This record gives sequence, C-alpha cells and structure tokens, in this order.
Amino acid sequence: MPNDLPLKDVKICDFTWVMAGPASTRILADYGATVVRIESPTRIDAARTLQPYLDNKLGPDSSGMFANCNAGKLGISLDLRNRAARAVVHDLVRWADVVTESFSPKAMRAWGFDYESLRKVNPNLIMLSSCLMGQSGPLAKIAGFGNMAAAISGFHNLAGWPDRAPAGVFGAYTDYVAPRYTAIAILAALDHRRRTGQGQYIDQSQAECAIHFLAPAILDYTANGRVNRRVGNSDAVFAPHGVYPAAGDDQWVAIVCRSDDEWRRLCTAIENEDLSRDSRYASAARRLEHRDAIDSSIANWTRALDRGVIESRLQALGVPAHQVQNSADAYRDTQFAHRGHFVALDHPSLGKFTVEGPRARLSRTPAVVSRAAPMLGQDNQYVLESILGYDETRISELVASGALG
Amino acid sequence: MSVLSPYRVLDLTTERGLLCGQMLADLGADVIKVEPPGGCSARSIGPFYKDTPHPDRSLYWWAYNRNKRAITLDIEEDRGRGLLRRLVERADFLIESHNPGYLSERNLGFSDLARINPALIFVSITPFGQDGPKATYADSDLIIMAAGGPLILAGDEDRPPVRLCIPQAYLHASADAAVAALVAHRERTRSGLGQHIDVAAQQSVAMATQSYILAAPLGSPEARRMSGGVKFGPLDIPLVWPAKDGYVAMTFLFGSALGIFTAKLMNFLCEQGFCDEATRAKDWIAYGEQLLSGMEPLSEFERVKEIVRKFTRSHTKAELLQLAVDRGFLITPVTTIEEVVESPQFESRGYFQDVAHPELGESFRYPGPFAKFSATPIEYRLRPPSIGEHNSEIYRDELGVSEREMAELTLTGII
Repeated sequence: MPNDLPLKDVKICDFTWVMAGPASTRILADYGATVVRIESPTRIDAARTLQPYLDNKLGPDSSGMFANCNAGKLGISLDLRNRAARAVVHDLVRWADVVTESFSPKAMRAWGFDYESLRKVNPNLIMLSSCLMGQSGPLAKIAGFGNMAAAISGFHNLAGWPDRAPAGVFGAYTDYVAPRYTAIAILAALDHRRRTGQGQYIDQSQAECAIHFLAPAILDYTANGRVNRRVGNSDAVFAPHGVYPAAGDDQWVAIVCRSDDEWRRLCTAIENEDLSRDSRYASAARRLEHRDAIDSSIANWTRALDRGVIESRLQALGVPAHQVQNSADAYRDTQFAHRGHFVALDHPSLGKFTVEGPRARLSRTPAVVSRAAPMLGQDNQYVLESILGYDETRISELVASGALG
Repeated sequence: MSVLSPYRVLDLTTERGLLCGQMLADLGADVIKVEPPGGCSARSIGPFYKDTPHPDRSLYWWAYNRNKRAITLDIEEDRGRGLLRRLVERADFLIESHNPGYLSERNLGFSDLARINPALIFVSITPFGQDGPKATYADSDLIIMAAGGPLILAGDEDRPPVRLCIPQAYLHASADAAVAALVAHRERTRSGLGQHIDVAAQQSVAMATQSYILAAPLGSPEARRMSGGVKFGPLDIPLVWPAKDGYVAMTFLFGSALGIFTAKLMNFLCEQGFCDEATRAKDWIAYGEQLLSGMEPLSEFERVKEIVRKFTRSHTKAELLQLAVDRGFLITPVTTIEEVVESPQFESRGYFQDVAHPELGESFRYPGPFAKFSATPIEYRLRPPSIGEHNSEIYRDELGVSEREMAELTLTGII
C-alpha cells in the first residue's frame, strides 16, 4: 500500500458490525486508515450470513456484503466476555485514534468499554457510537437492522403505489445513508483533535441522520402541515416521469421529460405527431393532469423495443432515459466499467472476490482497494505482534485463555 | 468552537449538490453559497411554504442550505469570473455540480483555479462522473436510480419498479462528496496541496443495493422486487408486515446471526397460542438452508409466514413496538412523516430544531443535528439565506470591494 494515502496516519479500533458501521470504516480504509475490525468468535457478524454469496454458496467468508463492507481491514477475533480480552482491547484503544461501535446501547458499558472508561485508557480518544435510535430516549434499547430504522423514520411509507401497501425502499435503507455521516463525523473530529488535542464522544442515531434525506418532506409537514404519501413513480413537476416496459421479460426503461422541449423531442422519437400537437400536453402542468394517458402512449412505443435501444435513442436526443439495471446489467455497464466500479480482489481462500470500488475519485491521492475482507481472526498474529508488540509467550497465553476463540 | 470553523467553502452547486455544503456547514465551516443573479435553480423546486412559489419559500432550498451564507455572482461575465478568482484565493474548498466541462469552458475548472490556489480542494458532483461514455447523459433522480441499481429492487412484482418519491440520488452523491472532501483535507494538512474530487451519482446510489449490485460478478442469483420485501431465489422474504392499524417492519430471517431472533419470536408466538410446538421447534438457524435445499417445503414456509402475519395483524403498531422494546424483537412501525415529527423518541433527544425565519414571522422545525458531538455540538446558526443576503458582508467587508464598485457591480448585474 503506498504510504502517501490521505489517512495513512489514522488508526481505528472498529467494533462495528453488520452494515452501517463497517461500510463507514471501509471508506476510511480505502484511503489508507489502519482499521482493526474486532469480531466475536462466538457471535458471528450477521453480515457474514447475508446474501449475495460468492458462487451462491453460504460459507463463513462467502458473503458479498461482508466482503464489500470490510475490504482493506485487518481482522481480529476477540471474545469480549473473556477476561483476557480486556487487556487486548485496552491496548488497542491506547493505540487507536478512533474507536467505533454499533452495538445496541449499554453493550459497551456492560463490558466496561464505554467512552468514560476508555478515555481513562486514552485521554484523547475519539469514540463514535452508531445505533438505530441513538444512545438515549425511550426507544434507545431497540436492537435491529436498517430496514427497521428506515420504517420508523418514514422511508417505507414513501415508496410504492398509492392504491397498495407500502412497497418499501429496498432493504436496510438507513444503512446506506448513515455510513457517510459516520465517516464525516470521524474525519471532522480528527481534524478538531489535530488542532486542539481534544478527543470527544459522538452519539449517532442512524434514524436521525437518515431523516436528512427526507428533509423536504419533513419541512412540508412542519411548515405546511402536509403529510407526503407514496405516489408511485410520479413527480410533482415533471411529466412524463416513469418506468416503462421494454421488450423481454421484466425489462424496464426509465424516461423523464424535464421540459416542454424534451417532451417534443420524445414525441419525435416515438414518431407520434398527434401527441406532440395535442394541446392538452403542451405544458408540464397539463401533462401532469393527463399523465395516465401519456404513460400508456409511451408504453405502447417502448413495449416493442429493446431497452438499451430506447436509452441510446432518447439520450441521443438529449431526453433523460436509462434502462433499469440489475446487477448483470451494471456489471456490463460501460460507465461503471469506465469508473472502475467493480474491483476483483484476491481472497486468501476463495480466489477472486469482487467488491465495489471507491465512490469518489481523488485526482492526486486516489483510493487503493487491494485487500480482501479478513477471514475471522485472520490477522490475530499480525495485530498482536506487530501492532501491539506482544511477544510469543503473551500470544500463547491469550490463545490458551480462549479469548481469541 | 465548531469542528470545521477555520475553513471556508465556496458552494457553486445546483440542486444536485446542496447537501455536500450543508454537511460541512453543519460542522461549522463557513460555507458561501454562490448563486447566479436571480438565485440558484434549486429555489424554484417545490414544495413551497404555504404553496406560494417564491425563491425564499422553496422548502427544498430550506432543506439543504441551512448554516450557509449567500452571495450572487454572474460567472458568465468576465468581471464575475474575476471576483470568483479573488474568492478562490481565500477558500479551502470549492464544490460544484455543473455538467462536466461547464466550468473549464469558463476558465474556472480545477486546473485553472489550482493555479490561483494550489491548496484548493475542488469537488465535482455529477450524474455519471467527469468522463466516460455516459458522462454527458441527460439525467434526473429516477434516471440515476435506474442506472445505479436500486430502482429494480423495489416495487410490486406486477408493476414497474418504483422509486422513493422524495428524490435521493444526489443526496447520496453529495454525502459521498462531503466525506471525500475531508479525506482530501487530511492529506492537505501534510502536503499543503489540494486536488480534484470527482463523484458520480450513479456509483453513489449503488450503495442502496445493499451489495446486491455484486450478484452477477459473484455468481449469485439477482434479488428481485416484491412488495414490502424481496425475492431471493425461490424465497419470498417479507420485510413489511401488516399490523392492526397499519404496517410494521420486521426482520424475520434465518442463519447463525438472525435465526436467534426468529427463534425468540417463535417461542413467544407459541406461548401466545399462535403456533404449535412443532412449528416453534423448527431449526430457525438452519431454516434458510433447509428451504433452499428443498428439505423444508416452500409451502411450509408460507404456512409459517401466515402464522406470523396473524400475530402482527392482531396487534397495533404501538403494541408491536412495545414488544420489540420489552422482548428484543426486531420490529418497528412503518411511520408517516407526521408520526416521525411527533415521535416521543426524537422529542426526548431534542432532535428536531426550531429555526426562526423572522421575515415570515415564524419558526419551523428542521431535522436536527445528524450526530451529537460531545465537544463540538452541531449548531444551527443561520436559517437558509435569501438571494444575495451576504453580498455586502462578503464583497465589501471581507473582500474589500469599494462602495462604488459594489454599486457598479450591482447595476451591471454581476452581483
């Protein structure tokens, strides 16, 4: 790993698990931070059990989600309930700039690893706790996953059809939003400490940070008293604005007209002069009123055509359009390829393991994604010997204690 | 002291990039929104306060411009570009979200501005990135969600895939951009040098596929959409369940990590008489594998789900939430925006913040700080600015533009 990466001097002791926490420290690892992921040898990280799996086979290291969220990190197995683990944790905390954890509140306190205890070990420590609802409040105790935080912060109700039950956003939505806020909170606190020498504690509720992604709807309620509801793929202003069937089984193309001019160009493309001349459709406001009729005219055109052909034909005319891509489409997508979005890493036991690349390109110090996610306890020896400076006797004692699993 | 108070950010973004500057502004950076005369295009995005369209009443504008100051500047004119260059001399970050090439055609691209200020971190947020075969594609939220992977995964199976109806794509991209800006900043504290950051919204939204974007390269089946859940292989996995008075989200899954929760729930259901002992005693850890191998028939899984549905349907959302708190079940209510704002949980944490808009004679509750920092709490110092609100303060008081020049710049429409 080149030693000029932006975060080469940042050391993170990472107790987080599943997705929201690990996805945030993955970003930091991409830019050179040394991240030591602590995993329980007895209570397996749920991410290791979640799909998609490499070769569609469940195994302790075959989860694509685990691999994607933990590439570039060092892995140590440590049974936090074992007394012998305590000294190891304290040594890691002493070494670290940042401690991150995403257990439900009280778990760290129960082990004696809460911020007040750990700052006695490392007075300048930055510690970030991330959980569904935050460290306080009547629902603080709720354990669970991002689909639950998404439901309770309003997301699920806003995706789907007005005449049907909520379709819900896909999966653990707050786990997609929270990692960015986790990462920026850590980076900001590091800069503050660089300038002042002062560490701090950060209490992050995954629900509270995700609500920023619904801010216009929140304000529509607090300022106007209006409660936004799900409206399918309709837009408040643009029409047409939808997902249309293309040739083939379950093939779709998204098409949007952001202006009257784009509407006229769409009409040209679908060779329907009646539509472009129809005064009922002359403005976006009028098209919104007649959106069902417009949608069925467009669908009549798209239905017979290949979605890729529709995309390129409309984009050539400057009309927003894109085929609706699944993983196979994305893997073939020329733009994803151009951006290097899929990175094949060498896994120590499973051969090639593909993960996502970094989401930002830095011109002078680009991210380096080169190491597959660790197998459980893969880096025990390296972490204990090279990072913590333990000798062989000490390491043997630890192994014998069962603290490493 | 705020955590990023020493730093100045020039925010040239359109509606595509506003959240990036706001994240830095919330953290205390001095973010100056640079708008064309007449205002940023985002000011025309609804909804509007009292449904009255006006540049200072766009709730979309309010949502993502808190804690920023604002100036107007016409960068289509030479003199406007000159003023921007003077601002760049003293800036630490510049954020923009124009189509690729727009700023460099005006000699305001990264390489142009890096010559004036080599420490400048220049952040670009675009639909597909600065270059590549789709870099000039026409875009919108829905288009990015289609291209980046999340769209296909949500919706009812008998209807087209469906998006979240509050646009998300550029929020993902803006948040990635803000993180990258501070990554580059850390490096700058050693090298003294800035750099160009290029964020593509298509890549950012791929995050919202929960790594299913990797299914093809990993040789795994695609996940397929299903109302309130997901289809994986032969399995229909519900994540949204009916309650007596609405819906709840419940994680009802299997495997060594999640099966424990399912076993706990099934024990309770058995105690409550919803299922028999044989059903309770299934191996919930191995259950997913048993279904996939055919050892457990899918019809039996359907029967189990019907039992669970009977249980959720016989309780209100509030009752189910209380059970989750008391017994550690993985259940939360599917809430409306009203329920979110009025939630006792957010109330007890003092989450929502009143922001005064004196010219409207009212205060409004905004989503609160995105995290609680013990040493440097996030403060809401400034309501979203009106057009050119800080022109005098910034041009005259800070940049040293004379009164006469100010008058002339105003008269000629440069500011």
